[in-house]
Amino acid sequence: MTETLASPIDVEAGASHRSTWTGTVAHLHVTARAFLPMRSQESVELVAGCGIVGDRYMLGIEQGFYSEKPEEGRQVTLFESEVLEAIGRDYKMELLPEEHRRNITTTGVPLNWLVGKRFRIGSCLVEATRLSIPCRHIEEILQKQVFDAMVHRSGLNCRILVGGTVRLGDEIRPE
Amino acid sequence: MARHIMLAVRRIIPDGPDTNRLVLQDPDGWPLPKWKPGAHLDLQVPGIGPRAYSLCGDPATQESWEIAVRCEVNSRGGSSWVHDVLRQGDVVAVTMPRCTFPIAAEASRHVMIAGGIGVTPFLAMAHEFERRGVAWTLHLLARGGPPCGLALAGLAQSGRIRTHDTARQARPRWDELLDGGPTVGLHAYCCGPQAMLDGFAEATRDWPRGTTSIEHFVPPPLPAAEGAMQYTLRRSVTGAEMEVEAGGSMLKALRMLGAQVDASCEGGICGACEVRWLEGEPIHRDRVLSPERRRTHLLACVAQCASDRLVVEA
Ligand code: FES
Repeated sequence: MTETLASPIDVEAGASHRSTWTGTVAHLHVTARAFLPMRSQESVELVAGCGIVGDRYMLGIEQGFYSEKPEEGRQVTLFESEVLEAIGRDYKMELLPEEHRRNITTTGVPLNWLVGKRFRIGSCLVEATRLSIPCRHIEEILQKQVFDAMVHRSGLNCRILVGGTVRLGDEIRPE
Repeated sequence: MARHIMLAVRRIIPDGPDTNRLVLQDPDGWPLPKWKPGAHLDLQVPGIGPRAYSLCGDPATQESWEIAVRCEVNSRGGSSWVHDVLRQGDVVAVTMPRCTFPIAAEASRHVMIAGGIGVTPFLAMAHEFERRGVAWTLHLLARGGPPCGLALAGLAQSGRIRTHDTARQARPRWDELLDGGPTVGLHAYCCGPQAMLDGFAEATRDWPRGTTSIEHFVPPPLPAAEGAMQYTLRRSVTGAEMEVEAGGSMLKALRMLGAQVDASCEGGICGACEVRWLEGEPIHRDRVLSPERRRTHLLACVAQCASDRLVVEA
């Protein structure tokens, strides 16, 4: 059986692709170091080519644990608020926005479709590099068995092309 | 290679005979991860290795973690380093807390029996019991002044702490300490020197399964691995395999296969070397995993295998 997945991308005549979605920034979180809890923010400062000011993924900061080492393609990370709801439904488990350990919790953004694409977060421009992979150490940090629930829906890693301030409620839209 | 958090020693509080309580914080004051009462962490002692200490502060506080270290005469180097070398302001490497001595959630009454510095996990539990409003009693047996007297003072108004100075009075009998148990809803815990743990195990031998808990400081002798056989150990992540003889160390074998598996006690009591197993028939032999956890995880430092193949997630 072939399953057809609904795509949020409209294919227009002439082979030009125009995306139809717009979303918003629902939550913002950073943490200074691997293992430490994420802290909620009203706004964060994205630095092009580097990362978020004060976050452990900022390039140039030495980290002790491989899964949270800064890397070129993971300067900012995103997670769908819809996935938090789905995990609550599917696994009867509450996963909070500060617990998934990604920086920006989005609403209305089809993250899994955006690999290789560029999009705006407020005035900033980012490029999605790859889907995030859940790491078992999240269970150690949260003392919750969340790994299985996060497989294939663990968010998106991005590189920052144009930096700036991102605030709660900012619009997220295709470039 | 163990994964470490770097923490600053914010305060060193002399708290009882030969005992220092360390208050550890993130160097920039960032909140620390939550942990469960009964958890311990490994403090990395330079040139010596990891040393396990129970967290003894209030688990509700995320600002700092506390451990208490008694300077042991026959120290293997860990406690004397803490007492003689470590200073306020120093930065130390610790692991994430691991809870191998959990509170029995289903019990309505908890009796904790501590020998000396074995009181540390119970300090954390007592804070939690107070918050939950459940009945608890802590018996602390010590020769002379009790360790962690200042930390205990914060819980004294509960009226639930009994200290027994065994230098001045006879040791209480086990049936007195055990509060008339076994009774419905009662759970008994013990942490202290081996002789005390042995006495506790003997005194509670006929208690229903799951109503007693012991926290070991040093690994007890391993139970025999009945049915252990030579097996092929496979890492699921890389596909690498090797043969492990019956009685051989799975931990060493995994490391030879390039897996990064932490270890501390290497005797099945700390949980540091826990890995998930996917196929095969492990023989566990550890002292800390619950029957449910054993269905998916094993402790590589003591586990053996009763099938000719074992696949672990590493
Ligand atoms: S190293 Fe402590 S249980 Fe294996």
